[in-house]
Amino acid sequence: MEDLAELAIEKAMGAGAQFADLRIEESTSTSILIMDGKTKTMSSSSEEGIGIRAFFKGAWGFSSTNLLTKSPVRDAAVTAAKMAKSAQKRAKAEFELEDRAAVLADEKYPCREPPTDVTSEEKLSLALLLDRMMREHHESISSTSVRYDDEVVDRLVANSFGTRVRTHEVWTLAACSAWASSEGVIQRGHSSIGSIGGFELMRTDAVTGIAAESAAQAVRLLDSVPAPAGKFTVVLDNKMTGIMAHEAFGHACEADGVLAGASVLEGRLGAKVAHESVSLCDDPTIEKSFGYFGYDWEGTKARRRTLIEAGRLKGFLHNLETSSRMKAQPNGCARAQAYSSPPIIRMSNTFVAPGGVSKEELIEEVDHGILIMGSQYGYVEPAKGQFMFKGDEAYEIARGELGQRYRDVSISGVILEVLQNVVAVADDFVLTDPGYCGKSGQEARVSDGGPHICISNMVVGGLV
Amino acid sequence: MVDIQDLAEKLVTRALRLGADACDVAAVSSSVVVAEMERGSVKQASTIRDTGVGIRVFRKGSPGFACATGTEMGRALKALELAVSQARAGTPDPAFKDLPRPGRATRTSGLYDRRVADLQPAEVVEMAIELTDAARTHAKIYSVNAGISAGSCQAAFCNSNGITRRQSFTAFEIGAESVAKDGEVMFSGMDASWSRRLQKSEVVRVGQTASSYAMRGLRRTRIPTGDYAVVLDPIAAGHILATAIGGGANADNVQRGRSYLGGKVGKAVGVDSLTVWDDPTVDWLSGSFSFDGEGTPARRKAVIERGVLRSLLHDSYTAGKDCVRSTGNSSRGGALWSYRRPPSIAPSNLIVSRGDSSLDEMLEETRRGVYLRVTYDHPNLATGEFSGMMMESFVIQDGALGDSILQSTIGIDLLEMYRRIDLMSRETRYAFGVSVPYMRVSRARIGGSA
Repeated sequence: MEDLAELAIEKAMGAGAQFADLRIEESTSTSILIMDGKTKTMSSSSEEGIGIRAFFKGAWGFSSTNLLTKSPVRDAAVTAAKMAKSAQKRAKAEFELEDRAAVLADEKYPCREPPTDVTSEEKLSLALLLDRMMREHHESISSTSVRYDDEVVDRLVANSFGTRVRTHEVWTLAACSAWASSEGVIQRGHSSIGSIGGFELMRTDAVTGIAAESAAQAVRLLDSVPAPAGKFTVVLDNKMTGIMAHEAFGHACEADGVLAGASVLEGRLGAKVAHESVSLCDDPTIEKSFGYFGYDWEGTKARRRTLIEAGRLKGFLHNLETSSRMKAQPNGCARAQAYSSPPIIRMSNTFVAPGGVSKEELIEEVDHGILIMGSQYGYVEPAKGQFMFKGDEAYEIARGELGQRYRDVSISGVILEVLQNVVAVADDFVLTDPGYCGKSGQEARVSDGGPHICISNMVVGGLV
Repeated sequence: MVDIQDLAEKLVTRALRLGADACDVAAVSSSVVVAEMERGSVKQASTIRDTGVGIRVFRKGSPGFACATGTEMGRALKALELAVSQARAGTPDPAFKDLPRPGRATRTSGLYDRRVADLQPAEVVEMAIELTDAARTHAKIYSVNAGISAGSCQAAFCNSNGITRRQSFTAFEIGAESVAKDGEVMFSGMDASWSRRLQKSEVVRVGQTASSYAMRGLRRTRIPTGDYAVVLDPIAAGHILATAIGGGANADNVQRGRSYLGGKVGKAVGVDSLTVWDDPTVDWLSGSFSFDGEGTPARRKAVIERGVLRSLLHDSYTAGKDCVRSTGNSSRGGALWSYRRPPSIAPSNLIVSRGDSSLDEMLEETRRGVYLRVTYDHPNLATGEFSGMMMESFVIQDGALGDSILQSTIGIDLLEMYRRIDLMSRETRYAFGVSVPYMRVSRARIGGSA
């Protein structure tokens, strides 16, 4: 790997690049999908390749190949440099990258039992156990799915500053979905667990817990009703708070979007953007999390980023380019889905910090509202300043008591309003389920979380 | 240079020797050029070349899949051995009948445009600049972020029943987001285009459309919660129907009792005027092909015909379970094939019937309503309910399009939505794999923030 990296950097710089970097990867992964007690897919992939990026006066060229021999690597390096120069000729904006110190590191993610040492039979046996647990949970369970994924990646990040960061990445994930049906009504429950690390994670009680949780949720939802539409005071559970932190605010803090003029947070550094009880962070250094990494995909050492502190906007998520252009320090947010994609700014573990009241007190204070739990998905358009996210289940709150169960509750909000409308933040912090965040056609492993929080004037999407 | 067809055939032969009952191999070689614009300036030009093989084997119905990058036989054989060992480890599945058998091959025209395959990075950059210029038609357009992607792919396919086929695709995709700003108010308008052929005229149209909606959105309003007539732009309708019908009619979802369309084949699910075809044979549409991901020849079939659910979308596995023939809906990815994932059921191109109205007539006939242009939400396929955010929407007041609506949601039962379609336009557009007209739904629940 090192020899090819030296060759590629030398050729890209020789072809006129002002800066060049690359990612060489060798990876193996397993993916098992069980449906209704039978293997639907059992797949493995074995990949290798290189992605080379060249910079010239404000424009980038990128080229990738999965032929890891000298000639195609040389060609890809020269192509990247030529494309950067060709793009720059037609670019209107011109800027420079600040010189940064070389980073030399070799990081192995903590792993006691590498997935590559575990047989397919054992992984399958775990997935079948989870499937059986869901089906045996209740007679109304009519269909089940279990997904098991792992990946082991050996990656070298190198650049023309002299950075050489070798990362031995490993992560595992399991996810359960259960469908319950009764008298023509079908409902789905789901739960997942995942972290960096090896198969040892799959030997914990928490793994079997996701099977029970998924099945129980599907059964619970059978007597739910569609949610009402309109404006409500809502209490978000740990998962919903996490997805709100990610969707409603995290994306708008990505400095590439800010520089692109596509974030409503542009020009608001230091401004009050949330109630003073709200602090929000993104932290890739939390070990045993799905969003962990020690060095980003440009070789920058990862660190915790405080985005909001006591209601004020404190900072953005940066890579080498945006930190140069915005006169900030790079804080290690560049990530690429694989060698074949250029690195872009991504979140990691995003969360709201805990407050000072109990969850019970928080709910008791609500006269008329909705408690929303679990998270299905969410998305945001930072330029419009609007976001939505969808919960798994919800409950009416009347005079501080939980009542009718609802399903499929979605919430729509405005980035610059939602956190100003926070009424109270509870003290029950949890970093929740693993997930994948999509941006510019690339996926990144992330997680999010926080405590229960109460927000006024949220628009709830419902059918009635 | 390794011939990918030859590689695929050799791997199938070897799989049977290793004990597989059935096997298929897709060998794919692709090249994509992308130009990305940031704030009106060229940001990045990329070329991505990707070659590899995806090998699927079955033993007693148990599937195993492995892929390997490149075309080197040693790596491919290692992947094959892994796929076979996984199939051995898996659970036997008597519901698996067989992979498709050779039959009369079809040839769909309009899959490959040499002009797209031959595009050089500098030419794609020039088009991206033209796109950006078109998306900046007003002084209040603050920023334009856009991109153009031109890709080509050669796919060789071979299975253990003797099907040996090859097809080539191109894909030309355009996307633009214009951001308008007036004081503290910001609004972004988007538009996109998907085709297998070079469509230079689309470059300007996409840019201008993004710009016009960004400007229109600067005037914002909030509306109260209530029931409204909703006119769906093809962008919104395409996104909703791709999942609602494409996922709802997926035979695997139906057979497992996970779809709201379960038990409804032969029954009315919508208005008489609603017909939806799944048609992979339409020239130049991004979902078209000559054969699907399992080698089944392309054919057009009605999913919904005059409001009645006629057919589910099958691959060979679900077709075997229902004792019908595969509808040819086994997918190996989007517009270009990928070797990295096993095939799965997906619609090709969904073609929704046209009406005899026009957008202007629909608006004129709507006294109080909502025009939904963009949502990225997905329906709940199990319940058949859709609730999501109206990301880009406008008030319809007294027959005219008005201000953009801030912070609002839409909720409707899908079967109710199909029954409440009362107007469809003559004009159609292709979005998210669906060719669809403007549609008016007579009533949906809108959650407002006024």
